[in-house]
Amino acid sequence: MNKKEFDNILNECLERLLVKGESLEQCLQSYPEQAAELKPLLETALAAREASTVQPRPDFRARARYQFQSALKEMAAGKSRTSWGWFPRWATVLAIVLVLVLGGGGTVFAADGSMPDSPLYSVKLATEQVRLTLTPSQMGKARLCAELADRRVTEIAYMANKGDVQQVELITERLDEKLDLLVLIEGRGGVSLPGILPAAPPPEEAAAPPAPTTTPPPPTEEAQPAPPVAITGPGKGWGGRDADDQNSNQAQLRNTLASDAASNRAVLRAALDEMPESVKPALRRALAVSEDGYEEALDALE
Amino acid sequence: MQDEESLVRRAQKHDQEAFAQIYEEYFDRIYRYITFKIGDAVEAEDLTQQVFLNTLRSISSFKWRGKPFSAWLYRIAHNQVVDYLRKKKKAVVPLEENLASAGDNPQQAAERKLGIERVLAAARHLTDAQREVISLRFTSELSIAQVAEVMGKSQGAVKALQHSGIVALRRALSVTQNE
Repeated sequence: MNKKEFDNILNECLERLLVKGESLEQCLQSYPEQAAELKPLLETALAAREASTVQPRPDFRARARYQFQSALKEMAAGKSRTSWGWFPRWATVLAIVLVLVLGGGGTVFAADGSMPDSPLYSVKLATEQVRLTLTPSQMGKARLCAELADRRVTEIAYMANKGDVQQVELITERLDEKLDLLVLIEGRGGVSLPGILPAAPPPEEAAAPPAPTTTPPPPTEEAQPAPPVAITGPGKGWGGRDADDQNSNQAQLRNTLASDAASNRAVLRAALDEMPESVKPALRRALAVSEDGYEEALDALE
Repeated sequence: MQDEESLVRRAQKHDQEAFAQIYEEYFDRIYRYITFKIGDAVEAEDLTQQVFLNTLRSISSFKWRGKPFSAWLYRIAHNQVVDYLRKKKKAVVPLEENLASAGDNPQQAAERKLGIERVLAAARHLTDAQREVISLRFTSELSIAQVAEVMGKSQGAVKALQHSGIVALRRALSVTQNE
């Protein structure tokens, strides 16, 4: 019998023993030839199962439940906040002032290059949100989403190098969000777009259930969805350009995205090769999100 | 538990009842998973609480892509453990009264505590992947398919790790018993 066959028998016996409640003897009777080898392993599995009787202390359980319920209520109360509510107030105000009044000065420039471990990173994210909101055309928004997705990949590689798994996962969600948004803009005119524009009454078609790719962005300190806003029908948001212009712009964007997809895949794969084991699961997820997201975006541009 | 997908979708819309159901369904299982992984039942309490607070904050980002919600949840727990172990790198502290169940008399409680302590101590001799499989299979009661989803491995690979993990655990238990 090869190892794989034995693995299967062992697993079957474990299922019968631990899930179906059969006795050790019943399991062993089914496999008399392997019984001698199976018996100590099954006994050990039962001992490991014994460890599952450990339970949190009752007073901790009560305290934890109370804390969780409080956090849940707090979050539910704050869910009506707009996109800006998830940035520090100072960062939002500073970003709006810098972008609107100064047209993007030195601080914005400095924040633009900041990484997630920098104090200016909140300004960077808030500035991005301001730019997305103020960009009038759909094509402009799509280009900006592509640029922002590219930035997220750079940040993932940077934070992976620092060994910060949580930040890698958080930024991966932001990457996913930006690529989803791009697909939404390019592939689904007339559907609601979360967190981009000020609230406006949606047209009838916006009431349709969202497509699988329209999952709202995570409630992190970055973007929290604003009330959904409908984008007008396909083509309307393109500023009256003719079909040739649209096609040309889309072709350009497609080239950019194809190039970004390839270079970002290379960046993440290189990081995966170099980084310690503890960061690799998060990086694999980032790579999968990047590959899937770019593929969907490119499909949407077909 | 009601249909998990609809429950999670409700939780994503900040439905408190749905979230409470998820919390009750998974709290003990995540706690046991973490306890087995770090060998410290008291520290596991705080980590478990942090897992659920992180879940609350990030559930909106969860997407149904053919993987069960539990895989995502255990991923959060796994990351929490990795972070903890990286920061602490400390010796395991003795297990406290967590190990006694309500129905135990003092002698039963002492025996149970001893037995669990031995298993948790032996588990530290396993590789990370073996400990992950044994913990998910025997303390969190996940199926082979679910463990494969959580770990991003094939079912065959998980079965092989399960086998080698039990062998390693048995060997470590024999050593601690003889000490």
